[in-house]
Amino acid sequence: MRYTEFTPYDIVLLAQGLGVSLALFLATSAIGLVLGTLWAVTRFYRVPVLSQALAFLAELLKNSPVLVQLFLVFFGFPAFFRVNVTPVEAALITLSANTAAFVYVIAVSGIESVGRDQIEAARVFGLTRWQVLRRVIAPQAAAFATGPLVALLVNQLQVTSLISVIGVADLTKIGNILNLRTLKPFVVWTVVGLLYYLAAKLVALIGARIETRLRAHSAWRGL
Amino acid sequence: MQLDLSVLAPHAGFLWRGAILTAEVCGLAILGSVVLGALVAIARTASSRWLRGLAAVYVDLFRNVPFLVQLFFFYYGLPELGIYIDAFTTGVLALSIAGGAYASDAIRSGILAIDPGIIEAAEVSGLSRRVIFTRIVLPIALRTSIRPLGSVLINMILTSSILSAITLNELTGSGRIVASDTFRPFEVYAVLLVAYAALTWTVSLAVNLLHRRMNRGITQAVA
Repeated sequence: MRYTEFTPYDIVLLAQGLGVSLALFLATSAIGLVLGTLWAVTRFYRVPVLSQALAFLAELLKNSPVLVQLFLVFFGFPAFFRVNVTPVEAALITLSANTAAFVYVIAVSGIESVGRDQIEAARVFGLTRWQVLRRVIAPQAAAFATGPLVALLVNQLQVTSLISVIGVADLTKIGNILNLRTLKPFVVWTVVGLLYYLAAKLVALIGARIETRLRAHSAWRGL
Repeated sequence: MQLDLSVLAPHAGFLWRGAILTAEVCGLAILGSVVLGALVAIARTASSRWLRGLAAVYVDLFRNVPFLVQLFFFYYGLPELGIYIDAFTTGVLALSIAGGAYASDAIRSGILAIDPGIIEAAEVSGLSRRVIFTRIVLPIALRTSIRPLGSVLINMILTSSILSAITLNELTGSGRIVASDTFRPFEVYAVLLVAYAALTWTVSLAVNLLHRRMNRGITQAVA
C-alpha cells in the first residue's frame, strides 16, 4: 500500500526536520564563533607558527566547497584514520570548522578596525595585552563585526541543507522523502523553502536587534 | 594510514573531464546571472515602485532559500510542468537564477555609485532613456562592479559542487565515482579540496587583474 496523499503526520515530520536543521545550525554556529574568535586571538598575540597555519587553514576552508569538506570528513576520515564518523558528527565537524574559518576573517578585520592609537594609549596606561583585548578591542570589534556575522550566519543556515546529502534527516532530507512519496514537488519544495526562508528572516531579525544594542553607545540620541 | 596519491593517477583524466564540466557550467551560469542580474538591477533602480518591489522580492527569496532546495524545486518540479530538460541544463538554469540574485546586488550598487551628474548630462543631451541605460549607465556600472561580480563567480564555482546531487558528474560528482572505485575517499576528497581552492584562487587573481585593467583611468575615483 502506498500513501501518495499528504497526511497530518507530515507536519510532524517537517517540524522534526526543521528542529534538526536549527539544532545543528545553533550548535555549529556556537562552536564556530568560539573557534574562529580563538583563531583571531592567536593572530592578535602573534603566536609564531600557529597563527600562519590557522590563516592557511581558514583560507583553504573558505575557498573549497562545503560539500567536498563534508565528504572528506564523512567518507575520508573513517577510511584514513580508521575512526567511526556518524553523519551528525561529520556535519558538526565540517560546519563548525567552516563557520570558524569565516568568523576568523570577520574577527580579524574587527580587531584591525580598532585604531592603533587606542591600543598604544591603553598600553601606556599600563593595561596588559589581555586587558587591552578584553576591555578596549573586544567591545568595539564586536559592534563592528555584528553586521557581517549576521550575514554569515544567515548563509550558514542555508549551508546546513547540504548535510542531507550524507543522510542527516534535516529539513531538506524530509523534503526529499515527502517528495518521493507524494510526487508533488511544487508543494513540498515550496513549503520547505518557505520554512528555510522564515528561519533565515528570524536569524536576521535577532541579529539586527543585537546590533542595535551593541551600537547603542555610538547611536545618535538627539540633543 | 598513508597518503598515497598515486592511486589516483589512472583516474586523472576522468577527474579532468569533471573539472571541464564544472568550468562549462560555471561559464554559462555566470553569463546567465550577469544578464539576469543586470535586468534585475535595472528593475531595482527603476522609478516604478511595483518593478522595484518585484525585483526586491526575487532577490530576497533566492538569497534566503538554500540552493539545494531551489535545485530540487527545479529538478523535480519542471518535469511536472511538462518541461523535460537534462541535469546539465537544469543546473545551469538554477545556478543562473540563484547567481542572478547576487549579481543584481553587485550591479545595483555599481549603478547607485554613478555620479547623478553623468545621468543628468546625458538627459540634457537629449539621449533616450534606453540609450542612457545601455550606453552610459550599464558600462560604468559593470566596470565598477567587476570585483563583486568576481566573488559571485567564485561562490558559483563552490556552489556548482552541489549539482552532483542531481546526478551531474562535474568535479565533485566525478570525485564521488572515483572514491567509490578506488576505496580511497580521503585522498580523492583532499585532492578535490586543494583543486577547488587553487581554482578559486586563480579566478580571484584574474578578476583582480581584469578589474585593474578595466578601471585604469578611474581607479582612484572608484576603487
